[in-house]
Amino acid sequence: MSEQPDASTSEQADAGTSEQADPGKSGDRRIGVFICHCGGNISDYVDVAKVRDALKDEPDVVVSETTLFACSDGTQQEMVAAIQEKKLDGLVVASCSPKLHQITFQGVSKRADLNPYSYTQVNVREQCSWAHTDDHEGATEKAIGLVRAGVAKTRLSTPLEPLVVKTLPKTMVVGGGVAGLRAAVGLADIGLGVVIVERASALGGWVAELGPMYPNEHSGREQIDFLIAEVAKRPSITVLTDAELVSKSGSFGNYITEVRVKGSHSQMVTAEVGTIVVATGFDTYEPEVGEFGYGIDGVVTLPEFTKLVDSSKGPLIYKGKQVRTIAYVYCVGNRQPAGGNEYCSKFCCAATVHASLKIAKRDSELRQYHLHRDIRTYGKFELMYSESRERGSVYMKFPDETPPSVAKMADGRLAVTVVDTQTGNEELTLPADLVVLVTGMVPRQNQGLTSVLKLPVGVDGFYNEIHPKLRPVETVVAGVMIAGACQSPKTLSESVASGLAAVTQSAGILLKGFAELDPLVATVDIAACAGCTDTCLASCPYDAITAVDTDGRKVAEISAAVCKGCGGCVPVCPEDAIDLLGYTDAQMRASIDSLSLVKEPVA
Amino acid sequence: MTTTATKTTRFIDTELLSDLKRFGAADVSACFSCGTCTAICPLVDNDSTFPRRIIRYAQVGMRDELLSSKELWTCYQCGLCSDSCPTEADPSEFMAAARRYAIASYEPTGLARILYTRPVVGSFIAAAVAAFFAVFMYASHGPQDGASLALFEFIPEGLIHWTGVAVMVALALAGVFGITSMARRVARSEGVSLATLFGGRAQLSKAGKALWSALGIESLGQRRYREDCKDDNPVEPLYRRRWLIHALTIWGFLGLFSATILDWGLALIGVKETGTPIPLWYPSRLIGTIAGIALVYGVSMFMINRLRQVNRAAQFTTASDWLLLVLLWITGATGFFIEVALYLPNAPAWGYWIFLFHVAVAMELMLLLPFTKFAHAMYRPVALFFYALAADKSKQTV
Repeated sequence: MSEQPDASTSEQADAGTSEQADPGKSGDRRIGVFICHCGGNISDYVDVAKVRDALKDEPDVVVSETTLFACSDGTQQEMVAAIQEKKLDGLVVASCSPKLHQITFQGVSKRADLNPYSYTQVNVREQCSWAHTDDHEGATEKAIGLVRAGVAKTRLSTPLEPLVVKTLPKTMVVGGGVAGLRAAVGLADIGLGVVIVERASALGGWVAELGPMYPNEHSGREQIDFLIAEVAKRPSITVLTDAELVSKSGSFGNYITEVRVKGSHSQMVTAEVGTIVVATGFDTYEPEVGEFGYGIDGVVTLPEFTKLVDSSKGPLIYKGKQVRTIAYVYCVGNRQPAGGNEYCSKFCCAATVHASLKIAKRDSELRQYHLHRDIRTYGKFELMYSESRERGSVYMKFPDETPPSVAKMADGRLAVTVVDTQTGNEELTLPADLVVLVTGMVPRQNQGLTSVLKLPVGVDGFYNEIHPKLRPVETVVAGVMIAGACQSPKTLSESVASGLAAVTQSAGILLKGFAELDPLVATVDIAACAGCTDTCLASCPYDAITAVDTDGRKVAEISAAVCKGCGGCVPVCPEDAIDLLGYTDAQMRASIDSLSLVKEPVA
Repeated sequence: MTTTATKTTRFIDTELLSDLKRFGAADVSACFSCGTCTAICPLVDNDSTFPRRIIRYAQVGMRDELLSSKELWTCYQCGLCSDSCPTEADPSEFMAAARRYAIASYEPTGLARILYTRPVVGSFIAAAVAAFFAVFMYASHGPQDGASLALFEFIPEGLIHWTGVAVMVALALAGVFGITSMARRVARSEGVSLATLFGGRAQLSKAGKALWSALGIESLGQRRYREDCKDDNPVEPLYRRRWLIHALTIWGFLGLFSATILDWGLALIGVKETGTPIPLWYPSRLIGTIAGIALVYGVSMFMINRLRQVNRAAQFTTASDWLLLVLLWITGATGFFIEVALYLPNAPAWGYWIFLFHVAVAMELMLLLPFTKFAHAMYRPVALFFYALAADKSKQTV
């Protein structure tokens, strides 16, 4: 079972720095400056012609022009032509925020065979024209200073190349429920190795315990058995049960993980993987005693009820007595007021209606009352809801401020009080034999895993993705993805879909065999490093800095693959031995100095 | 039932809807309370909203609310709601079934329930009651002779009179019980008490106006049925309009009833003996003849409509519906045969037998009134009375 990790470790290419230009020295660069009107957004307040003229005489500037819209296709083509004709080796565009168009003009540079890191975007809109609409002269003066600073930074720029790191063609799937199993099969099918780490002693998760499911009435157990058989057919999948991920180190695309496998003799298994898919699922809400009568005999939760339905035949029997009336109370533990579980669990309406239909088909005399706040049988589940109503289930919407209450009656049955919004505000009492509390999902308690992987947890307790719509399975931890109900309440099909999305995302990272990382990382000037390391090591939130011995001397070393380029270590170094590529001390100093030149009056 | 938790709330009757279905309630489970039916109903106003609310009572199992709804009887089943129902839950037929259920619930004997829900047993009871009256009266029969029909020689007038009185007493008892049972429920639900009816001059005047509206304007005049029910689409010729057929049946029945009372009254004050030959223009005979024509026309049209299922109201028929129509029709039609026999020379023998049949069926019709569809003649005016009260109330508050 133990996984023999690939012996080869990743090769981390060093940031490609070419020969350092002499800071401050000018006259050997060819820089183009383009000042954008932004259709008046800038030019209404900043005299762009004046800025252009002021920059014309700036050392190293060979092109200084204004444009109506720098981002327009035509202007981009003109810039490409200018870079090539004038053999420019640096580009400055004074326009809007880099958030908007940095990538656009880096693209212009690339198309003109200019290194994109030789490009500097100067923000003269949000940080100048829009901020100083009452002072045109001052705004113009400031714009000139900002563009000069940009030129100064560009003058000292060096061409940088993306960091290329080799990646391991293997993914770890944490959690062997339906999302994890389907992801594992998918990963194996596109040629990646897979390690499934399951905390329980068997694969399957919650779905393995479910009976017939909508719409094809295949049981959860059957569907899990199918997936387990598919997993068994694929030798590239390793399954570790009774196992927990206990540590993760290494860098993007090359993670070294340790898994503790329990059993008669506990052992540690090391696995090296390129990516990790977390599919640890959910827990079901456990009502408090007294919550909607929970604790009274005959009051059960949804999982208890579905088990009762699926484990029997014919009319429903509860504790030896035939059940003739069922009351369902929806949204238990979900859609709570602020501070509680405010979310909706999505699956519970459909699961309840489905279970109620199953039992209705077995006993046409059974009376079923669904006391709800809203029924959310969205999409195709709506058909189930319609069928349920037509089979005689009664749906009663109660007002939020008067929820139902449950009590035991003298005759042993349960009395459920409810207000039906569709007939008025009178309180009604429903005599029932069984009360089903429709309980939703809650986040699974997984502190260990959360801290090992540094997973971001939302206010609701579920794991957070980077972007809920466009990057739904990636987390801020590079190479670690989330799938299934550990992210948010999901139905089975939604869990599987997100599992497969994680497969695609893993494939996107791992199938090329390498990954390109941003080269804007910190580097250590070993000659200057005094080897104190305590300060810089502590300042790094990503554990990218280590102390190493070089020629018998202790120095700090920064892993370019792990470094995120935050710059946190740069100012803390007492020896100024750390520099951030793309934002070197020399560049920033030159920029600031250029700004101050504006003290001279503008002609 | 007792409960430790709730004492003031009303209990849901989980069997209500399935019980209603025995009375022919369309399957209203499909109803999702959209309210299209209520919106389209020409009879709905701020004082009474239906059918949605009434259907909801049935779905949930709110039996008390259902049986205390004056709205049940505000409906004339034009069928517009059923035509526009998006779930084809057939609200108009549901309303009809709920009225059947109410008739069976307001009377304590269970006879109405049997007549509605067990057609075979019901038909047997109907035949047995008629046979009983026939045999009972035939047991005291006299001779069939005389130059003209001497009907009251054949069946003694006194016997018919006192049997009739007994039947009327039974009818009155059952009627009063049923009406009280219904009126108390509706009054409670409408917040009407004896004080609000009789508490003072203003109250009395209001109650009087409501009574006139219920009995005069609506029951005799059929105003809303005539003016507000938009049930003729395409518009039927006048002689086929539902309200006119219904009105002719009412007027015919009341005419025959008053002709009988008039004949008896004339005997009481000594103008003429019951059963003496009289010409066609004689007041009691003339009224009876015209009323008989109206009744037979109305009932015949009802029967034809039911057979041809020409409208929503005629689509679904219970045995009990037929029972009322058949009894009415026999009573009316046999009356004409007797009338013809009376004016024929040589006193045909079949006249006697038809007379016996006529009397037996008429007795049965009255005896069974509170237990058949005929009971709507008692309950609808009560509902219309409360409707008029409510309407009046709303005018005052606005």
